[in-house]
Amino acid sequence: MSEKPFFVFPKWSNTAVLVTLAVGAIVPVYLVAIIWFGWSARTLNVGYQPIQPVPFSHAFHAGKLGINCEYCHSDVKRAAFAAIPPTQTCMNCHTQIAANSAKLQWLRNSYGTGNPKMAGMPIPWKQVNELPDYVYFNHAAHVNAGISCLVCHGQVNHMTRVFQAKPLSMDWCLSCHENPGPNLRPRSEVTNLNWTGKNKVKLAGDLGLTVATLPKNLGRYLMKRYHIPSTKLLTDCETCHH
Amino acid sequence: MKARTRNFYIIGDLVLLALIPFGIVAMRRYSYTTVPRFAIIQDMDRMPYLKPQRRSPVFADDRGMRPHIAGTMAQQDFTFVNMAEARAYPGNWPKDHVAIRSGSQYDRIMLGQKLVNGKGQFITRIPIPVTRRLVLRGQKEFDIFCTPCHGFNGMGNGTVNQYVNKLRAAGSSDAGSWVQPSDLTGPGVKFMPDGGIYNVITNGIAVMAAYKDQVPVVDRWAIVAYVRALQLSQKKVAAGRLPKSVRSRLK
Repeated sequence: MSEKPFFVFPKWSNTAVLVTLAVGAIVPVYLVAIIWFGWSARTLNVGYQPIQPVPFSHAFHAGKLGINCEYCHSDVKRAAFAAIPPTQTCMNCHTQIAANSAKLQWLRNSYGTGNPKMAGMPIPWKQVNELPDYVYFNHAAHVNAGISCLVCHGQVNHMTRVFQAKPLSMDWCLSCHENPGPNLRPRSEVTNLNWTGKNKVKLAGDLGLTVATLPKNLGRYLMKRYHIPSTKLLTDCETCHH
Repeated sequence: MKARTRNFYIIGDLVLLALIPFGIVAMRRYSYTTVPRFAIIQDMDRMPYLKPQRRSPVFADDRGMRPHIAGTMAQQDFTFVNMAEARAYPGNWPKDHVAIRSGSQYDRIMLGQKLVNGKGQFITRIPIPVTRRLVLRGQKEFDIFCTPCHGFNGMGNGTVNQYVNKLRAAGSSDAGSWVQPSDLTGPGVKFMPDGGIYNVITNGIAVMAAYKDQVPVVDRWAIVAYVRALQLSQKKVAAGRLPKSVRSRLK
């Protein structure tokens, strides 16, 4: 037996091949899945709910009392930025109602009726919905085109403490810029967060039409009526990144 | 321990470990957090330029947006001010800055109008054409700014008033010194001149706050027009004098 023996794979190599194949198939899929779900705006951004200096409840003011969004964010249809109201707006009511509440200490300080050292200081509200600085979002343009507040901010009238409800990612913005129709509603109902459009008589009234002349496709009709530009223009880079 | 059992445990543990990241993802997705969001790749998400209402370390009070300096006004405010207001309240505006830059129809018409006539009384007529459009605009603005207290019918029982009444009935001290808002269809406002109502919206009255910062000039006149419409709506008219289309809806 001087012949050199052939190399013989050891017995465990049968298992090794199977294990390698299995790992090779599973690991890439696993990594892609983790990055896909983990590195998405829905995971990273949605649900941010900071604690604010004053425990203001939108659920109470906008929901239960039914105060219009524009009462406080009064510049929204004229300005690019929907301003956080000045202390004066809060004090339109709170000089009378719950004027001595401990929760409103910041208000009184800012207004000049609390700690005199802090008179005139702005209330340090924390911004919840925030876009990157290279996006030039214009509130007036959207609100006047019939995009409701809740399309981007969710049902704020149900939020006791406001949280970010939508991803506000570019992918998410584009999903509407590519097809704005379904998110449109009559301009007068933009701040009505309970609007459904199912009441045809009311809808016709809002649009100055009759029930018989209501358009079949409301979205397409409103796009024309509010002069919303074509999808091609809406998805142009410079529309948002000018 | 048999080799097979051992392998089963090793693989099982690996699978369980591999599920942990998914657990974290699921937790982040379906819970609320006070931890500020973070970007894995920063790009240029935050730049040092100022956006409205941002903080700025340049100023002692951290405000990037500066409050008005007494006696000055922002350029864009030229469109929101008119001669009438400027003359009636000279203290509010610097004298040389009352020219109106905007070319809008309403502003041109209001130019030169006074809120107070020669005898020191408020003007009795809205100084801009009262069209159907203006009244509808007034309705919209009224529904936003006036209804919380005065109610949709203007009679002084808005949701805020109802809420305070509830508080008071429950004996809460939060009700404070609240007084029921006035009935805008009642004689007190009915016989007030248009300029007087405008003045109340602009500068407030008694416990009502001034709304000049929230409601621009034209919208204030529009609200005056709509308040007049609300007053007319309370007028009693004999059923026989109503148009046919309205009469058929009477029960």
